[in-house]
Amino acid sequence: MTLAEALQLIISGIAVGMVYSLIALGFVVVWKSSGVANLALGQLVLVSSWFTYGVLVQAGLPLLVGFLLLLVFAPLLGWLIERIVLRPLIAQPILSLITVTLGIAYFLEGIVTCIWPQSLGALPRFFPTEPIHIGPAAISQEYLWICGISLLTFVVLTIFYRYHKMGIAMRATADDQLAVQACGVPVTRIFSSSWMFACIVAAIGGVLISSIGGITFGLVNTGLKSFSVVILGGLDSFVGAIVAGPIIGLAENLGGGFFTPLTWPGVKDIIPFIIIVIVVLVRPFGIFGEARIERI
Amino acid sequence: MTLPCGIRSYNYSQDTAIVRTKTQWVLLLGFLALFFALPFYLKSNYWLSIINLIGINLIAATGLNILTGYCGQLSIGHAGFMAVGAYTSAILTGTIGLPFPLALICSGLSAGVIGMFFGIPSLRVKGFYLAISTIAAQMIIIWVIEHWTNVTGGFNGMSVPYASIGGLVFKSEASQFYLIMVITVIVIFLAKNMARNKIGRAFVAIRDNDLAAQVMGINLFQYKLLAFFIGCFFAGIAGSLYAHWAVSINVEAFTFMKSVLFIGMIIIGGLGSTIGPIYGIIFISILDVVVTKLSPALQSAFPQLASGFTTGLAPMIFGLVVILFLIFQPRGLAHRWQLFKSAYRLWPFSY
Repeated sequence: MTLAEALQLIISGIAVGMVYSLIALGFVVVWKSSGVANLALGQLVLVSSWFTYGVLVQAGLPLLVGFLLLLVFAPLLGWLIERIVLRPLIAQPILSLITVTLGIAYFLEGIVTCIWPQSLGALPRFFPTEPIHIGPAAISQEYLWICGISLLTFVVLTIFYRYHKMGIAMRATADDQLAVQACGVPVTRIFSSSWMFACIVAAIGGVLISSIGGITFGLVNTGLKSFSVVILGGLDSFVGAIVAGPIIGLAENLGGGFFTPLTWPGVKDIIPFIIIVIVVLVRPFGIFGEARIERI
Repeated sequence: MTLPCGIRSYNYSQDTAIVRTKTQWVLLLGFLALFFALPFYLKSNYWLSIINLIGINLIAATGLNILTGYCGQLSIGHAGFMAVGAYTSAILTGTIGLPFPLALICSGLSAGVIGMFFGIPSLRVKGFYLAISTIAAQMIIIWVIEHWTNVTGGFNGMSVPYASIGGLVFKSEASQFYLIMVITVIVIFLAKNMARNKIGRAFVAIRDNDLAAQVMGINLFQYKLLAFFIGCFFAGIAGSLYAHWAVSINVEAFTFMKSVLFIGMIIIGGLGSTIGPIYGIIFISILDVVVTKLSPALQSAFPQLASGFTTGLAPMIFGLVVILFLIFQPRGLAHRWQLFKSAYRLWPFSY
């Protein structure tokens, strides 16, 4: 492998990893505040990508209007899911909470197939496509844009969580739900806003990744791969998700580059899942997660 | 179990009997006799094939019920373990040429061993972590099957010979009905008994509180792995039967969504009861048949519907049913049936 190839793999790996981080953040937000393990991540990504396709390509709206509509649609979806499905299940065993998100996943997938039966959709190009030369490598600008937008989203989210009243309330809920309730914070509203956030970041991640790869059912797998980020970074850690994303992206791309000649083509797709198995076996609470798992 | 009024047990064998009263015996035997005579009066191969598929799925779901319903270890990779069984059986009978009964056992064992491997994390983690690691298992298994082309045929799949015991070849739908149903009845009987003996009680203890179970002297390591082994063993048997029933197998039959479907089946039927998966599977299969019959009709009645309506309707309704059951009937159809039975016995008194 030449240096140029390696550099290309590294940059694209980091960019894709950033998107995984974004999607994983959506999981962490919900898990931290309400303890619901959302397995429908991939489907949320899928739905919001197809929605963007619908408003931008099928309805032909200008970019800005389309994105504004997406920013309305995604929180609405999150609110609906929380209000209709998860509110009645508060304080149910984790088994029900996991399986109900699987039900949501199935439902969303059905809706997507109903409305957009075609298997492939291409979003218009948002970013300039001419490559940038870094050393010997020519790197498509899109990847740098994706890194930039992801970083921006992280910064905004971090500031929100640190300083905004709602953000502080969300962190407090994650810490001690009873105490927060006693202080008069409406916990149910915290839950629904965490779902809204989850859907927004999933939507941003979805639009970013489908602007490169197109919209396919592969996005569901992207969502599943994000679980490796969640597991590696630690379930309840924002920093973990942000750091683990690029690690997974790099491992996927470089590992794919190195191992494909040794094994079968397509080894790239399976690396995140192998990482999941290894992490769960060796260090189940992840790099930054709290080691709060009950020892059995 | 609540018994009808006036039934008392005078010795231990009466007390522990599965079928307690004469009426129950008559009903059970009558049902089995009617059921096994089904191919004689049900001439439609379509319906027989649906019933066969129900039997196969029932075996897999019974395994999952032992693992998830009794032992509380969530597995979202059951279709993957089923695929291990199916491909083992296909390779052993098709490529190597072993007899079918041996291949059936071997496919159960291989699925069980692989399930046990992916069950190792359950010793340290539970809940969500376990769900994720079984999803990883599903993905890895399917990926290996897809890419190990010279053994499994990759995307093209494999063709499998019909099952045969001695000189008897199970070729027609009716003969396969007997093969599948006999194994299904055996599996249900085993599962029912396992739930009542030492192992089953240990599983339930682990599900309810694993720390307490350990304090009571239950070896968690051993029993959790055993649960994974048994659950995946049944999945492997189901996979093998599926391979010999469908005669050609492909990874398309063992997708992630199929795994979710199994979870949905046992949720709808009722976790932690032997009868639950039966209700769940019959419910889902009837739903499936209705949707496949209904959606083309709807499509032609309302041509303005989107063209993906026929394919999208089934997952949509299924997701909806799972959500509704979890919200309104979390203990499943089995519980509802129990309520109905006790209400019937007490009628006209409501207490």
